[in-house]
Amino acid sequence: MADIFDFGIGRARPRRQAAAVLGASIFGVCMIIAVPASARVIDVPAQTTAAPVQPVAATPNNDAQMQVMQQKLEAIQNELSQMTSGLVNQSGSNAGLPLHGFMDVGYTLNSQGNNVTANPNVPNPRGFYEGRLSFYMAPQFSDRVRALAEPNFEVDQLDGTVGVDIERLQLGYAFSDAATLWAGRFHTPYGYWNTAFHHGAQIQTSIFRPRFLDFEDSGGILPAHTVGLWGTGKVRAGRGKFTYDWYLGNGPRIAGAQPVINPVVNPSDYQTGGLDPNIFGDDNHNALAGFNLGYEFPGMLDGLKLAVHMLNGKVSAYSDFPTTQFSSTWLNTTDLNVGGGSLVYLSNDWEIMSEYYGFNDKNMEDDSKHKSRAGYAQVGVNFDEVTPYIRMERVILDQADNYFSMQANGQSYARQVLGLRYNLSQKACMKFEMMNSNFMQELGRTALSYRSLNVQYAIRF
Amino acid sequence: MKSLIFRICTAAILLFSAAQYANAANVVVIANPDVSVSADDVRDIFLGEKQFAGNTKLIVIDNAAVQGSFLSQVLHMDAGKYNGIWTKKSFRDGLTPPAVKSGDAEVIEFIKRTPGSIGYVTSAPSGVKVIQ
Repeated sequence: MADIFDFGIGRARPRRQAAAVLGASIFGVCMIIAVPASARVIDVPAQTTAAPVQPVAATPNNDAQMQVMQQKLEAIQNELSQMTSGLVNQSGSNAGLPLHGFMDVGYTLNSQGNNVTANPNVPNPRGFYEGRLSFYMAPQFSDRVRALAEPNFEVDQLDGTVGVDIERLQLGYAFSDAATLWAGRFHTPYGYWNTAFHHGAQIQTSIFRPRFLDFEDSGGILPAHTVGLWGTGKVRAGRGKFTYDWYLGNGPRIAGAQPVINPVVNPSDYQTGGLDPNIFGDDNHNALAGFNLGYEFPGMLDGLKLAVHMLNGKVSAYSDFPTTQFSSTWLNTTDLNVGGGSLVYLSNDWEIMSEYYGFNDKNMEDDSKHKSRAGYAQVGVNFDEVTPYIRMERVILDQADNYFSMQANGQSYARQVLGLRYNLSQKACMKFEMMNSNFMQELGRTALSYRSLNVQYAIRF
Repeated sequence: MKSLIFRICTAAILLFSAAQYANAANVVVIANPDVSVSADDVRDIFLGEKQFAGNTKLIVIDNAAVQGSFLSQVLHMDAGKYNGIWTKKSFRDGLTPPAVKSGDAEVIEFIKRTPGSIGYVTSAPSGVKVIQ
C-alpha cells in the first residue's frame, strides 16, 4: 500500500516521477480554473509562458491569496517547462537509436527471356522479384562525433539466396562545416550518383543505376565501396560553395577471373571475374586514392553543381574466389587511372544528372596503356507527383585492358532508358521503366541486344 | 464593356492577392543570444548545410504551427521537398533532422534556455536574438 502513495521521489524511477509531476500540474491547473472569477486576475501572455505574470486587478482582501496563486502558477510553469524539455530530449538524439530504411519489390519483363545479359553470372529473369531491404542508422555521440551504418539485405540474383552486407559502416568527426573526417567502409565519392542515392531505391528517380555504376556484387566495373579514410566538406566561395572529397583506402581486386576465354569457339565460355572491395585488408598493399572537387552555383543557377574527379590504384586479378585472404592465384595487375567530371542540376522542376569517366590504364606486366570511357546523362521533369525521365548510357571499354577483360561486366554497351516515377506519398513511389540494351561484339565477348520493361514499388520508413 | 471587365478582373486579382497575403503568417527567425549567424545563413542552417556557428553546434527547431509559411517565405519550397532533402541528408551524411515544436510558446521557451538553438516564430519576443 505504501508503494501506491510513493511517487518514487529520490529513486531512479523517472517515469513515475514524471507522472507524479504531470498529475500535480494538471491538478494545479484545475484548481486555477476552479478559482472564482473575481479572483482570476492573472493574465498569462499566450506567446511568452516564461514571462512574469502581472495582476490586472486585486482587492486588499485577497492580495496574499494572489501572491500564493502566483507562486503556485510559476511553480507549475517551471514543472511543465521541465517536462517539455524532457520530451524534447526523448524525441531527439538521446531517445535511443531511430531506425530508418528503404525497401522495394518489382516486376521485370524482357524480350529474350532468362539469361539475357552479357554476363550469365548475373541473370535477368522475367517475373516478380524481391528487391533490397536497406536499413540505416545514424547515432550521434556528441556535437562532433557521429556514425552511420547501412546494413543491407538483398537476394542473390544467381541462386536466390538472401545475403547481408554492411554496405556502409562509418565513424566520423566533424571539425567544422568545412571538414568532416570519416573512417570505415563508405561509398567511394566519385561522380555524383554513388554518394547521392546509396542503396535507397525510393530516393532514386529511376529503378536501376547506370549499369557501369552498379555495386560490385551487382556487376559494377568501378570500386563503389572503399574501406579507409574519407574527408569531405564545403567552403563558401563567393556566393556559391566549393565542395571537396578526398579518400584513401584499400584498393579493390578482381576475384574469380578466367585467364583465357574464347566464346567464339565455346559459347559457354565467358568471363566470371568481379570486383571485390577488399574490406579486410589490401591484397597488394596499394592504396586506392582519389578526390572529387566541385562548385555549387548560387542565385539564378542555384541547384547547379559542376565537379571533377580522379581515382588511382593498382588492381590485381585472381583466378579464384579465395577461402583465405591471400591464397588466390594471381593473374595480372593493372594501374587504374580514372578521371572525369559530373554536371548536376536539381531544381523544383528539373532533375539533370550526367557523369563522365575516362580511363587511362596500364597493364603492369607489359606496360601497355589503354584508354576507355563511360558516361551517362539523365533528364527528368517534375510535374507535382509525376516525374518522367530519360537516360542514355554509353560505355566503350578496351578489351586489351586487363582491368576490363578480367571482369564479367567489362563489356562495351549502349543503353537507353525511358521511365516514369509516380509518388504515391512522400514515402512511397511507383516506377515504370523501359530499357533498350545493346552489348557490343568484341574480343572475348558476344553481341547481345534486348529490351526490358521494369516496374518497381519502393518505400522508405 | 471592355473597361468594365478589366476593372472587375483587376479587383478580383487584388482581392485574391490580399486574401493570399492575409493567410500567410509573418515569420521571424530567432536564436539563442549566444548564436552568431546572419540572415544569409538561415537557408543553409535549416537545410543542414551549416551545423556550426564558430565552435557552437547549432540546434535547429521547426515550428509546426507556422512551418508552411516559413518554408514558402524563407526557404521557397514546400514541406514535401523539405522533408525529402532531410531524408537524403540524414541518409547520406548521418545528420538528424530538426526537432519539431508545436507552436511559438514551445519554440521560444526552448530557444531561451538552449545554447546554440535557432527556430522561427510569428513574432519576436524579448530575450532572444532576431536573425531575420
